[in-house]
Amino acid sequence: MTRYGIAIDLHRCTGCHTCTIACKIQNNIPMGLLWNRVITEGSDMVDGAVGEYPNLTRRYVPVACQHCENPACMRVCPTGATYKDDKGRVEIDYDKCIGCRMCMAACPYNARVFNWNEPHREPDFDYGDKTVPVRSKGVAEKCTLCKERTDRGEEPRCVVACMGRARTFGDLDDPNSEISKLIAERHAYVLLEEQGTKPQVHYFE
Amino acid sequence: MTSGKTKIAYAVLGILTVAGIAAWIYQLMGGLGVTGMNNGTSWGLYIGCFMFFVGLSAGGLIVASSASVFHVAEYKKVALPAVILSTACICVAGIFVLVDLGGIQRVWRIITGFNPTSPLCWDICVICLYLVINIIYLVFMTSNKDDADRKVAIVSRFALPVAILVHSVTAWIFGLQLSREGWYSAIMAPLFVVSAMDSGLALLMLVLGGLNKSGWFKTEKKLMSSLAGLLATCVAIDAFLVGCEVLTMAYPGAAGAETLAVMTSGVTAPFFWAEIALGLLIPFCILVFARNRENMGLVMLASACIVIGVFCKRIWLLFTSFFMPNVYGAPGIISGSSASAHATGMDVWAVVGTYAPTWVEIVIVIGVISLGALAFMVMCQKLLPAAKKEQSSDAPAAEGAAA
Repeated sequence: MTRYGIAIDLHRCTGCHTCTIACKIQNNIPMGLLWNRVITEGSDMVDGAVGEYPNLTRRYVPVACQHCENPACMRVCPTGATYKDDKGRVEIDYDKCIGCRMCMAACPYNARVFNWNEPHREPDFDYGDKTVPVRSKGVAEKCTLCKERTDRGEEPRCVVACMGRARTFGDLDDPNSEISKLIAERHAYVLLEEQGTKPQVHYFE
Repeated sequence: MTSGKTKIAYAVLGILTVAGIAAWIYQLMGGLGVTGMNNGTSWGLYIGCFMFFVGLSAGGLIVASSASVFHVAEYKKVALPAVILSTACICVAGIFVLVDLGGIQRVWRIITGFNPTSPLCWDICVICLYLVINIIYLVFMTSNKDDADRKVAIVSRFALPVAILVHSVTAWIFGLQLSREGWYSAIMAPLFVVSAMDSGLALLMLVLGGLNKSGWFKTEKKLMSSLAGLLATCVAIDAFLVGCEVLTMAYPGAAGAETLAVMTSGVTAPFFWAEIALGLLIPFCILVFARNRENMGLVMLASACIVIGVFCKRIWLLFTSFFMPNVYGAPGIISGSSASAHATGMDVWAVVGTYAPTWVEIVIVIGVISLGALAFMVMCQKLLPAAKKEQSSDAPAAEGAAA
């Protein structure tokens, strides 16, 4: 089996948000929505610091769909619109989504966004990859792990665009893949392990 | 003929319903962005009202069916208005789920893609079953056939467990979500059932009071006092369960305590304390004394307090868990709402959950409730006089009673 995932070296993340924007363009994401975001962990201010001077720390954490092995969103979806595909990605069949937002209540990572309005783009055309399906008003969407790119053997856009080369994409089921080795050697962790969702996005420093 | 007052009531409710439908069409055109909901607080007033009305629906059916199941002859007298109320409320609850959907045109996908692990699917099944049982109940109760009583007794044996299940399953939509600290609790189902019983029973008392006044249906004062006693017991159990939950959240001083702080001194605090005061303390202090239970004015006041208090409880229960994201850090969650679509810079982001209902949501909520009230009045006019037929001779007399 193939089980795609991403490993992110937080030590290399400079909080530049390039992945966020690259993702937005690749996936034709309308205004007001994003699939990927870079948070300044634990701070209520972007680029803020945590702690008491002079003992301050700052860490950027890119957060998108964690493509969980045990996805809470899939479990609660009433129509089966959310599914786990044969490459271990959590995907949404937009035609089946009834917009109940049960998945958004269930996801511990706030990874999902909803088309509250008729999608609006600036500039006013579909700027995304033409193979990416266009979503309509009233459906949920989220990171697909660049399904269209990874299906044709390319890496996800955020992985390619990262200027610090912080992101590694690969097959978690292949023990010899670069990602599997990184996770083992660098003692990678996952976000909110206690939620039992078993994310396929790993972080390490 | 219907009296002038009734006509005015129909007219007002009709206008409000039409306004609600107009607002709903506006929402269908613009998308859910016309509401105050956003990516951080992805459920709002509709789902709060859904929980509330599923609950209100209970009191009626639980009283009516336990009257048959446990042979409480007294309560059988109010079974008919109780079941009418329960039917109207469950329809209102169902409509609230439908208006909350972003893609109602694809709603049939629930049947073709039915996912048995989704609590929402369980809820749809149980609510449909509950509605059917309510209707069968009404049919048998208003039937003139000889064996109607026996049939009512049989239906009531199914109605009681289903009534309890419908509230439990609604609770599980929330209570099974590990990701939401304030929801994930085994007490959620019992808490919903008991909240349903006290708010539903309180609404039934208010409605019986109203029917008494209008002359559509007479309830003995003694029976009202007895129901008030049952209400006091339900309030006490509700208070006990809320207390258990709050203590369990607070004691370890960990994540639960942070959520509790949002509830007791944070954004949802006004609703929490309103529930403690209006939903629990005041009505209990009134209804615990037998002398007060004889005083219909006080009983009505206590009932009104309970209905408002339980509504406040739905609000804090729903929104407290949307406030603090599990993965915390600026800029937070991109809002995605209409308000933020025209915002610039950092205003499109929210580090913690924010929500305020818009006028569209409020008009729709009022419209849906008016529709429910209309349905209740129509059912009362059609069914209650029929029940009185046994004493009076024919239909004109029954209509006279309704006037």
